[in-house]
Amino acid sequence: MSELASRFRIRRDAETSSSRLPPLLVAAQRVAATVEQGVHGRRRVGLGETFWQFRQYEPGDSLRSIDWRQSAKTDHIYIRETEWAAVQSVWLWRDASASMRWRSGKKIPAKRDRADLMALALASLLTRGGEQIGMLGLDERASSGSVALDRMAFSLLGNGPEQQSPNLPRFESLPRHCHLVLFGDFLTPLEEIDHRLRQFASNQISGYIVQVLDPAETSLPFDGRTRFEGLEDEGRILIKRVENVREEYVARMARQRAGLQEIARSIGWSLVSHMTDQPPEQALLALFVRIAAEV
Amino acid sequence: MLTLGALAFAAPWILLALVGVPVLWWLLRVTPPSPKLVQFPAIRLLFRLQEKEDTPARTPWWLLLLRVLIVLLIIFGVAHPLMNPEEGFKEKGPLVIVIDNGWSAAPNWQTRQNSVSELLDTASREDRKVILMATARRAPAQQISASKLMRAADARAVFQAMTPQPWPENYKETARSLDELAKRTSDGNVVWLSDGLLHQDTETLMASLQKVGRAMALIDAAGDLPVLLHPARLAGTHLAIALERAKVGRPKQYELQMMDENGRVIGRRTVSFKASDRKIDTVLSLPAELRNRLAQVSVDRHQGVGATLLLDERLRRRPVGVVSAAALTGSHRLLSDLFYIERALSPFSEVRKGPIDQLLQRPLSVIFLPDWAPLTRQERERLARWVKGGGLLVRFAGPALARNSDDLVPVRLRSGDRSFGGAMTWAQPLGLADFDADSPFAGLSAPSDVSVRRQVLTEPGIELARKTWARLRDGTPLVTADKRGKGMIVLFHTTANPDWSNLPLSGIFVEMLQRTVALGRGVAEGGARQTMLLPYRILDGFGKLVEAPEWVRPIETVNFSKTVVRPANPPGLYGDSASRRSLNLSSTVRKLEPLDALPTGITRLGYKKAKEIDLRPWLLMAALALFLLDLLISFLMRGLLSQRTAARTTVLVALLALPGAVLLASGVAPVQAQILEEDAIRATRETVFAYVKTGNSGADRVSRRGLIGLGIVLASRTSVEPGPPRAVDVNTDELAFYPLLYWPVIDGQTPPTKQGNSRLQAFLRNGGMIVFDIRLPEGFRSNALKNLVAGLKMPAFQETPSNHVLTRAYYLLQRFPGRRTGEPVWVARQDQTANDGVSPIIIGSNDWASAWAVDLSGRPMFPAPPGGEYQRELAYRVGINIVMYALTGNYKSDQVHIPTIIRRLGQ
Repeated sequence: MSELASRFRIRRDAETSSSRLPPLLVAAQRVAATVEQGVHGRRRVGLGETFWQFRQYEPGDSLRSIDWRQSAKTDHIYIRETEWAAVQSVWLWRDASASMRWRSGKKIPAKRDRADLMALALASLLTRGGEQIGMLGLDERASSGSVALDRMAFSLLGNGPEQQSPNLPRFESLPRHCHLVLFGDFLTPLEEIDHRLRQFASNQISGYIVQVLDPAETSLPFDGRTRFEGLEDEGRILIKRVENVREEYVARMARQRAGLQEIARSIGWSLVSHMTDQPPEQALLALFVRIAAEV
Repeated sequence: MLTLGALAFAAPWILLALVGVPVLWWLLRVTPPSPKLVQFPAIRLLFRLQEKEDTPARTPWWLLLLRVLIVLLIIFGVAHPLMNPEEGFKEKGPLVIVIDNGWSAAPNWQTRQNSVSELLDTASREDRKVILMATARRAPAQQISASKLMRAADARAVFQAMTPQPWPENYKETARSLDELAKRTSDGNVVWLSDGLLHQDTETLMASLQKVGRAMALIDAAGDLPVLLHPARLAGTHLAIALERAKVGRPKQYELQMMDENGRVIGRRTVSFKASDRKIDTVLSLPAELRNRLAQVSVDRHQGVGATLLLDERLRRRPVGVVSAAALTGSHRLLSDLFYIERALSPFSEVRKGPIDQLLQRPLSVIFLPDWAPLTRQERERLARWVKGGGLLVRFAGPALARNSDDLVPVRLRSGDRSFGGAMTWAQPLGLADFDADSPFAGLSAPSDVSVRRQVLTEPGIELARKTWARLRDGTPLVTADKRGKGMIVLFHTTANPDWSNLPLSGIFVEMLQRTVALGRGVAEGGARQTMLLPYRILDGFGKLVEAPEWVRPIETVNFSKTVVRPANPPGLYGDSASRRSLNLSSTVRKLEPLDALPTGITRLGYKKAKEIDLRPWLLMAALALFLLDLLISFLMRGLLSQRTAARTTVLVALLALPGAVLLASGVAPVQAQILEEDAIRATRETVFAYVKTGNSGADRVSRRGLIGLGIVLASRTSVEPGPPRAVDVNTDELAFYPLLYWPVIDGQTPPTKQGNSRLQAFLRNGGMIVFDIRLPEGFRSNALKNLVAGLKMPAFQETPSNHVLTRAYYLLQRFPGRRTGEPVWVARQDQTANDGVSPIIIGSNDWASAWAVDLSGRPMFPAPPGGEYQRELAYRVGINIVMYALTGNYKSDQVHIPTIIRRLGQ
């Protein structure tokens, strides 16, 4: 009862603290529904419910894990062992750094907003399929159901200090064989990305990278005398004529993306690219199909 | 001061900064514009990018131009440019201003005031002492002399007190005192504000001017020179008048205004000068009735004595005596001789009735003697003497004369009369024959319907034909006349009533009498003897009739025609009401001659020149505006503002800059914008009276000036200090701010709309007061007021009772005169009104506003006869009482205080 009350309180807090939550969740659900229709011939993801076996109580077992009904039937005390669900859990992470809070025009969403939406939509799809989800760096363990979705939406909007948010996920030991989905712009130097991802990959985690980029970041649509300023204290640079460097910049950006692709390929992860001026469904469908094929 | 044509710089050394402008141009050109600032996440990829070429972006040329323009504006602004600058004076000595203030200065006195004011401005800027000098005496006893050395501010006060005088300048005396001055000062800067006319001693004056120092003469443009109205002459039955201007050259139109004694305009006439005309004769063809009321002719919009001509009785009115015994009794009116004579004469003559003795006490030109009981010997002798002295005696036949002829007839009469068409006669009544060419009636057409039934007959004689003015168709004389001494006797051989003929009923009778009266010599000078003509009213310098000051000398009757206009005898009216004579300037000044040639030592300048304009605030304001624009453009170029924000900011900046600009420019241009709210604040900050706009600009002006005049008197005598009056339109304007609404009633006003009426109703209900003043001469007989307030619910009215509060609200008054007097004032009956018995409406028809009206210099605009200045004073008292009544209501009639007041009076 009290848990229910607290759940309601959390939901209410979530609604009052951030009025963006319901719209985001609704938007994510809508995206998810669109994508789900696109997944043909696959009705559910085959993860059984969690009962595994009963075994006799041994000293040291938690009292909580005693199955009282089974124990009452016989003289022994039984422990209810569940299937180890962590193996099938999907962990999500999205880049919350300042550089993600950027957009090149008013009609285009910020990269972070798009990343949040896609992450939540993916989570929604996964929970419909009964999978467990968790936020990397925030959740202790993965959980399932609409509660998990609510919690995730809430933590996505959580207002942690963004400046300190890392550009890449910190390494954490995750359950083996779980899935990791990373949303971000991945504009950090390739060596750093390579180093960090290999840490995860060495733990036998299969991963998916979703690179969310603003169209302006690929085309550099500025001209004239312009002073550029980074969003994360990288410094400033004055370009006297942006037109003159555009070509070279585009080439660099292409190299960065190719490098990321190469890293993903080498550790066996897959990469999905997404531009914020595109609708999110397309990228999400591609992503979800790949995840579902492996789970 | 650096002068370039009409432009001058008060601080020209600032212009040296212009040298720096090309440098600034170069600097701005090489300095690239500030870069756009863009936040960019993928900045890491931009680091260490090699630029292929390094051509820095340039500031666009138009921005460059804008900035250079700002700098130029600031430099020129700080250099303090002046448009049409006042020149300083060249000599070291004081500024000597010689002002022509004779009659000829009045038309352009305003331009003289402006010129002197500008001269004094310059003098005070240069800290120069000033000497003032007028060329006409202020009064007979005051000699012309130069003032002391004064500071410009003191000189201004002295000049303010100066007015044009109605007599000519005295250049001889001026020159003498200038010579005196030249002994002390010879390095002065002399400015002579000339009237532009050549006088007798102008040469002398100009010589003396140059002795004092460097001389300049301000001379009016040819079109602004004064004009002169020459004395009126009789041209037939009409008056002729000549208008002269000083200089030919351009065609110009003047409008003559003909006014009656009360200053009411009774006719207008336009005089058009062709380019070559200098003097134009104009016949003032007025109807006889109006002509006799003509008292003054003046040139409209042209002040001064030269443009004002006073007419006296000699030209104007022919007093006609009709001998009568006693007042007429009603039953016999239509049969009485007197009735027909009076009716025929009154349109064009002043008719006096009475016994012969009484009539002869005052000067008369014509006496009508109807068929009367035989004259006594004494009366006959007096009449004979009067006729010999120049009188015109007009007699009518009748039963009395037929029975008993006397010697006061032009021809010898047969005793008895003859009659036609009676039962016992064979002849038909006879009509009039055509008039002879040498008869005074020549030109009149004899109507065929006139018939004479009876007449007296003459003894035939040699001279009968010569003496006959009119005949019947059979040749018998109907009107005969004969000279007696200087005078004449005229006899109508029939009665003045319809007993003997229907002549008196015909229009020809009126014309015949009119012609006859015109033969009268006017008021005989030998009439009532008056040796000295005392001044009655004189013209002031602006051509307004005012009370004669005590220093005006009387003129001997015999010398009157030789009298010269001089300070002791200003132009005006002299004599008592019986024999009033007018002295006009044109009897002294015969000719206008322009001052064309100036000696080489005197610089000629014009009065009217462009005013000095300070351009500094305008330039600096423009620089500020461009600077704000530049700021906005810079922000836009650096990407600090989006397009839409920029548009919004522009509007905001413009709004913010506007009051600043207005503040900056307020020294230069008055703020035109009148906001309704401000109006309301102004109307309620002080007591303000309003007048209703009639749509007639002349009437509105009188209302406005009238309320201003009343306001001045109120402020000086009472604690009410009203603000400037407001004009309201009852249909649209808010009335609630005004305690008193003055509503002149004139012809052709449109009544208020339905909405206007309900506004008025509310205004009255809430304690407002309306004063209706019927300005029309018909007074209460006119329907104008009735039409005006047809839609308004009016209370019942009564004539102001003698104990009404209005008679004692401030002054004790018995009557309520304005420009006219005698008409009653109506107020609402006390039982009728809701507001504590205070009448919300006062109706008068004495034309109060005209009596109150003052012109811009505080002088009354209209005369207020018959009472003169005393009547005006009473009119002001009426105004004060009305205002007090409007403001305090029934306070004065409050019975509660009466015992206390009586007790206090008793102490």
